[in-house]
Amino acid sequence: MHLLIVSCTPRAKEKSNTDKILDELRKGYEYNGNTTETLYLYKRNEWESIREKFYENDNILFALPLYVECIPGIMAEFLETLKPKQNCNTKIGFLLQSGFAEASQLRCCESYLETLPSLLGCEYNGTLLKGNMFAVSFLGSKMGKQMVEPFYNMGKYYAQNNYFNKEVVNDFAKPEYFSKKEIFLSNVVSPLNKLFMKVFAKKLGCKGSLNDKPYQNYIKR
Amino acid sequence: MNLIISTLRKDDLYNKKIIENIQKNISNVEIIYTEDMNIKGCIGCNRCWLVTPGICTIKDDYEKLLIKFLQSKQVVFITDLKLGFVSYKLKNIFDRILPLLTMNLRFKNGQMRHYFRYKKHYKMGLIYKGNGNREFLEKWLERVMINLDGTSIGTYNIENEEEILNALINC
Ligand SMILES: Cc1cc2nc3c(=O)[nH]c(=O)nc-3n(C[C@H](O)[C@H](O)[C@H](O)COP(=O)(O)O)c2cc1C
Repeated sequence: MHLLIVSCTPRAKEKSNTDKILDELRKGYEYNGNTTETLYLYKRNEWESIREKFYENDNILFALPLYVECIPGIMAEFLETLKPKQNCNTKIGFLLQSGFAEASQLRCCESYLETLPSLLGCEYNGTLLKGNMFAVSFLGSKMGKQMVEPFYNMGKYYAQNNYFNKEVVNDFAKPEYFSKKEIFLSNVVSPLNKLFMKVFAKKLGCKGSLNDKPYQNYIKR
Repeated sequence: MNLIISTLRKDDLYNKKIIENIQKNISNVEIIYTEDMNIKGCIGCNRCWLVTPGICTIKDDYEKLLIKFLQSKQVVFITDLKLGFVSYKLKNIFDRILPLLTMNLRFKNGQMRHYFRYKKHYKMGLIYKGNGNREFLEKWLERVMINLDGTSIGTYNIENEEEILNALINC
């Protein structure tokens, strides 16, 4: 089987979490002799050929980061240029990943993705979703890779089933919400996280405070 | 001030009609057409959180909108629906609100949220042209507004003028 993957983040490959995840997912998908091809929306000069591939292929995966509760603007822009397919049996699945950690954060976008394939004349093949992916690229190759390793099995799973079953995905993406205890613990270590961010920002060349309010004077209440 | 930001074309008949109507019935309204502006999409560089906190790296006309969000009592967007969602032109505007938040996280009502950069209660609404599932749009805007510590004033079909005017007057 051949899978066409369209990466829908505006971030270049080297810096994108979507792509680190895809590295693993692809390996899992290909382990049994399947093939994949990955195309990138951030390469805007390739949109014409991505559109052509979209029309030619009947097994497609859109991989995207959650952007303000739904699909990123660049993905919306690309989709707006597609014409719905006619009389085809193209299947579209999704890989949706986010910064916030709880699966519940991805549900609003998921409910949109469920409706999208039929608007493009295609069938819905399920959505693999997972939170807590913000730091994958920041953490560097070793720790980052550990975070995305579980996607290998999901790639294998998708190759075998050609569908992301909801129960399987829910188990993979849990927790749906954090427990009271987890929230309490997270609040306890929160000052440490803030300190870490401060140091990290300094290293990146930040001169001010992370809480600076450059437009404060404009606020009228 | 009440701000209307339209991503429709100025000569769009529905757009013209609703804006005339709003101007007639509601005082202190400012209208901005993004047709006249250059607004790019977020590139996910995170510099507005980590390098120049609160300031976007992309130098285009978006900064004007960001400042207007801070100045306005309420903001209503007008957009086309494409594939059941707001057009990319409006989604790009929403994707670039990140400078209004800080990098740091906390829990609010049981879910992870960012800290807000400014103390400001945003109120935003949506007028849409075209076909879509209103229930989904309502849910989406509500969630966006939770992320901003604001309130949704709802989503309205551009043809339901009475409903739109009532909502704006009662806000
Ligand atoms: C403009 C923008 C909006 C985002 N909105 C959300 C959001 O609403 N919820 C969330 O959990 N993460 C959000 N994120 C975080 C990304 O989904 C997350 O960092 C993801 O791993 C980025 O993947 P990428 O590196 O492939 O772009 C947002 C990130 C950006 C840049």
